[in-house]
Amino acid sequence: MALIELKDLTKLYKQGGSIIRAVDGIDLSVQEGDFLVIIGPSGSGKSTLLQLLGCLDKPTSGEISIGDKEVNKLNDGKLAELRQHKLGFIFQSFNLIPTLTARQNVEAAIAKRGKGDKNKALEVLKKVGLEARENHLPSLLSGGEQQRVAVARALINNPEIILADEPTGNLDSRTGREILDILKNLNREKKQTVIIVTHSDYAKEFANKVVEMKDGKLHSEKN
Amino acid sequence: MFYLTYLKAELIRRIGKTLIIAAGLAIASAIIITIISTSQGLSNSQKTVLNPLENVGTDILVSRSVDSQNMSSLDEATRTELASQNQITTDLSKLGNPGDSFSLDTFLPGTMLTFASSETKKLTSDLAKEYSAGLILNVTHQEGKIPTITAEFQTGGERVQIPGVAPMTDAERAAIDAARQKAIADGADPTTDAGRQAIRAAEQAATPDRFKGGSSSFTAPTRTYRQTLSTPQTDIKTSNYTIAGVDTSKTDIGLILPSQITEGTYFKAAGQAVINISYAQKNNLKVGSTLTINGKKLPIVGIVDPKLYTNTADIYVPLSDLQTMAGKADRINIILIKATDAKTVDSTSKKISGLFAGANVTNSKDTASKVTGSLMDAASLMNKFIGLVSIIIIIAAFIIVSLITVFSVNKRTGEIGTLKAIGWKNSMIVRQIFLENLVIGIFGAVFGVALGIGAILLLNHFNITFSANVAGSNITQGFPGFMRGFGRASSAVSSASTGTTANLKLNVGLNYLILLLGAAVAIVGSVVAGMIASFRASKMKPQEALRQL
Repeated sequence: MALIELKDLTKLYKQGGSIIRAVDGIDLSVQEGDFLVIIGPSGSGKSTLLQLLGCLDKPTSGEISIGDKEVNKLNDGKLAELRQHKLGFIFQSFNLIPTLTARQNVEAAIAKRGKGDKNKALEVLKKVGLEARENHLPSLLSGGEQQRVAVARALINNPEIILADEPTGNLDSRTGREILDILKNLNREKKQTVIIVTHSDYAKEFANKVVEMKDGKLHSEKN
Repeated sequence: MFYLTYLKAELIRRIGKTLIIAAGLAIASAIIITIISTSQGLSNSQKTVLNPLENVGTDILVSRSVDSQNMSSLDEATRTELASQNQITTDLSKLGNPGDSFSLDTFLPGTMLTFASSETKKLTSDLAKEYSAGLILNVTHQEGKIPTITAEFQTGGERVQIPGVAPMTDAERAAIDAARQKAIADGADPTTDAGRQAIRAAEQAATPDRFKGGSSSFTAPTRTYRQTLSTPQTDIKTSNYTIAGVDTSKTDIGLILPSQITEGTYFKAAGQAVINISYAQKNNLKVGSTLTINGKKLPIVGIVDPKLYTNTADIYVPLSDLQTMAGKADRINIILIKATDAKTVDSTSKKISGLFAGANVTNSKDTASKVTGSLMDAASLMNKFIGLVSIIIIIAAFIIVSLITVFSVNKRTGEIGTLKAIGWKNSMIVRQIFLENLVIGIFGAVFGVALGIGAILLLNHFNITFSANVAGSNITQGFPGFMRGFGRASSAVSSASTGTTANLKLNVGLNYLILLLGAAVAIVGSVVAGMIASFRASKMKPQEALRQL
């Protein structure tokens, strides 16, 4: 059974008088351990798709199931739990809390709080090579460093799925590759499923599955 | 506790925002504290003046004033008092020998006639819960040396006129000659003594009676000698003061109360005096000084600031002492009454009025209506606007704080979206923002209370004074109408008692409840604003929150 199953997933937006079919009847299954890259131009609906996958938004119609859970049937609290335990998010503009240090940002995402939180956060920072920067505020970190903190934050609860929305969008290609390397390693070592939405072509190199999105519909490119 | 770490980081790293919101809350809270405290200070001052009776635990005041209409209803003792007193005839000869020093105090009841103290028995328990009798008298004090009075009379130098004798006629002379010739012819020898005697006797016999001399009498007319004596030169000085006898058995109702003693103590025994603070200042008297009234020495044990503005005296002594000194055993002229039922003071006043002939019954409402002055203006202004101003300030503060809070939370919608994306529940987000605002509110409250206390201290420091004019029902006016010309050597009955203008310093008190209210305004304002903002933010869908990045 697939880890993620999308069935006829549709998301409509009203904009002015017209209806935009951001996601238009998508069927997709993602297996555990996949490194899926969804590629497409701006406005193709790929970010909306990712938000639906990440349970940040609810579809107009269709079904999403993650693991054995049908996301449509979960309330806000359960969704928050699901996000916390099973999903890790990485955003284009990093979305770190500006008043918290690198380590505190990672700590903020810990699901079950305990005494060892600081060390746990520090350990994850070590994985992304930022332990030396633990006490720096985001504003003192470079874009690449900030994104690595964001990756560390996404990993802190050891999620089954990592969702990344244009993770390299605000980075130069060298730094972008570094981030993708980290994600690829995680994918390889821990069998964590990675789904990336991007329009950077080089991301395809890291993927084991690439789909192209256009006008809310998917076109398979590589298996 | 991660949320505390986050809280601390949020407050410290956004110190500007923290301080602005806290300062806004502090100012609002300080203004509210200051306004309410000031208004309370004003209304306290107002109460002190408006209701002097309340200051001495009294609702109703009974005195007996003179009025020609009610002369007939007065008892005999009072009528005698009315007729015989309020005049001073000083018989210097009874005070000692000329040249001796003397000091004399004469007690006058002024316009307030006395009652027998037994009349207080009319105050049954259904009318008066408690009462205290007093005796307020005017005293004319005379002192100096007894003058030597001499009158000089000049006598003698009177001229007495004796009426003249008619001249001798020729016939009379001829008769005398004839008598002499006859004597000679009869053998009287003019050369011998015996002959001369015989001749003289014959002449005498012939002389008319009116020339026989010496024994005629006359009566001088009656005359009165009168000499005007000029006033003797003396150094007698006259001064006036008021003295009150206080029922010392009551300590919560009376002309003065132990709580009004500003220096020294209340009466501890008979034979002591407590003096009015203004009289003490005027005459440079202190606790420990001695007063002498008609030779009786009274040590001053205390100085009092009497709050019964309409019936004050310069000197207070125990009632029985004054009754003895003034020769008014068992007489009183003022009764202070605490009504049994505070709600029916008016009707109780009426009933009491009927019980005492010629009584002047005053209750707190009457005294309040006699007060005017700047204090009344400020207080009535404050009363009119206090509620409105406080409400406007609270609303304004709340709006400002809400706007700042909502604005600052809105600026963080991205952050909130991120937190939701990484698994924060709504409740965690609300708790976080609630805590932030709670802490900011507490800061605001602390600053606000400090600021408010500062403002109050500053207000008190400026010594703002209000005046209140209390129309006196004092014993100073002298008798109306019919008393004019009554007294012979009547000394002007004017009292040295404290004036009827009360100058009150605005004293803004620090009331913990008001400080708490001010603090609560800051905290509640901040928390409510924070809650509104955080609920709004938490209801936002995470992707919408994220989109606003």
